[in-house]
Amino acid sequence: MDDDVGARHTPAEVDATFRTLRRVAVGYFVVFLLAVAAFPVLSLTSDWWSEARLVGGMSPGFLVAAFGLYLFFAVLGVAVARLMSAVEHRMLDDTRDDGFSAADEPPGDLP
Amino acid sequence: MRGGSRLLAGVLVAAWAAVYLVTQVLVAPPLGVLPTLASGLVVSTVVVLGYPSALRGPRGGSLGGPAGRSWRPARRPQDPRGVRDGLTIAAAGRSMPLRNGLTPDAARRTAQLIRPLLGGDAIAITDTEQVLAFVGPGSDHHHVGGTLQTRVSRLALGKKRTVVVHARDGIGCPEPGCPLRTAVVAPLAVADRVVGTLKVYRVHDEPAPRVLVDDMASMLSLHLELAEMDRERHLASDAKLDALRAQINPHFLFNILNTIASKSRTDPEESRELLLRLSDFFRYAVRQDGHFAEFSQEYFFVRTYVSLEQARFGDRLRVRYDLDPQVLTSRVPVLVIQPIVENAVKHGIADSVTGGTVHLRARVDPLTRTTSIRVSDDGAGMAPEVLDRLLAGQRPGDTDPRHSGVGLWNISQRLDSLFGDRYSFDVASTPGKGTTVDLRIPLR
Repeated sequence: MDDDVGARHTPAEVDATFRTLRRVAVGYFVVFLLAVAAFPVLSLTSDWWSEARLVGGMSPGFLVAAFGLYLFFAVLGVAVARLMSAVEHRMLDDTRDDGFSAADEPPGDLP
Repeated sequence: MRGGSRLLAGVLVAAWAAVYLVTQVLVAPPLGVLPTLASGLVVSTVVVLGYPSALRGPRGGSLGGPAGRSWRPARRPQDPRGVRDGLTIAAAGRSMPLRNGLTPDAARRTAQLIRPLLGGDAIAITDTEQVLAFVGPGSDHHHVGGTLQTRVSRLALGKKRTVVVHARDGIGCPEPGCPLRTAVVAPLAVADRVVGTLKVYRVHDEPAPRVLVDDMASMLSLHLELAEMDRERHLASDAKLDALRAQINPHFLFNILNTIASKSRTDPEESRELLLRLSDFFRYAVRQDGHFAEFSQEYFFVRTYVSLEQARFGDRLRVRYDLDPQVLTSRVPVLVIQPIVENAVKHGIADSVTGGTVHLRARVDPLTRTTSIRVSDDGAGMAPEVLDRLLAGQRPGDTDPRHSGVGLWNISQRLDSLFGDRYSFDVASTPGKGTTVDLRIPLR
């Protein structure tokens, strides 16, 4: 017999979790899109972006293309993964502070 | 400013500093003013919108502990010397430690604070039994925690009025080498009840001004009265929460147990699951001992309740949750959402033959720092007179127990005591079309 009854969820709960996760995904995708699109926009519209010198004689655009974007992708990826995981945990699991589920309780114990 | 707001302000300042460094200091030529401001605004917007996210993770000590008391007025920081330069009576009144009750620690800090104001060499504060604080000459034998030694204290407590002593003998201290010569002893009272004394001693023959000591004793008495009122207010708030806990409808338990009994032969697995959910439901209701909980915990309570009701109503009860990810970590008053959902099921869906849908929607507005929660149903709705009584704050149970609404009334009272006027709680209903309850509370 399957004792892991705590892992069962109603369709409404799963549906709500899916829609919240979808909202997170769309939100982060928009952030990703804006950040990536900002690079060519800045290159076309701002001389400062490609002509100024920041560190080691490199322009802000070069620095962003060489390092910044990769750092941004990494941070964004970690952030979205953590957020998704936290949302799923909070929406489907028992998040009470005692972390105690009735399914784990030995028979005969009072709450 | 609360901790969260302070952190957000700090992050914003750091973001602007980083923008300034990158666009103005480390780069040649610096970026123009308008593009710099635009960059700063973009970064600020991202920070403000991204701050209240689930990335903050679980917070420590959420239930019952410090968070449960966090809404109480914060204590003001105390100067370790007890005295600040240029301290006025008004300033002392505002920062009076006795506002938290007549305790030894509060009495000691109060004595240190008011000693320079009253012109006394030694100050003592007592309750009716013992010395709570003694500051100044004579503290070697007027021990804190000891019983009242001086005759003059017992006289002031007995007569319930201020006593002035002009000679050493009048003080009645049993210690022969006591340096104290004059005393003014004023009773501290809460309503008509004397709860202690304020004693101002001098080591020379001129006693402290009686009017000044009287006024200070009156002020301290007022603070003690306020402390008493605070305590009563907290007790009332706790009692309201207890009432809500105790209000779990016996019919709900009866119906669920019947449902479980009927399924136990045909579907023992589901029966077992329902029993575990019922156990979770009662455990949550009983174990909540603070006033606030993370939204995700309240959500757990709501979906446990709804899943139990769905076992009874079957397809007639449909539910739709619509939650912002940011709202999951916000803190909301405990046992507020579930009674609203229960009302929607009991009065909206249960009476409808075709059933209906309960919609729970929760959002966080990071700009106004508000959490908004909406529970709506497309069920039977409420008659205008029932709604009017509810909105007027009247307990409608007197006339129609079925639409008692005591849960809503209780919630409204608790929100009043937790948030004052910084919340909104609106109920709108159309007979035959359903009811919508809107709750907006400050983001915590």
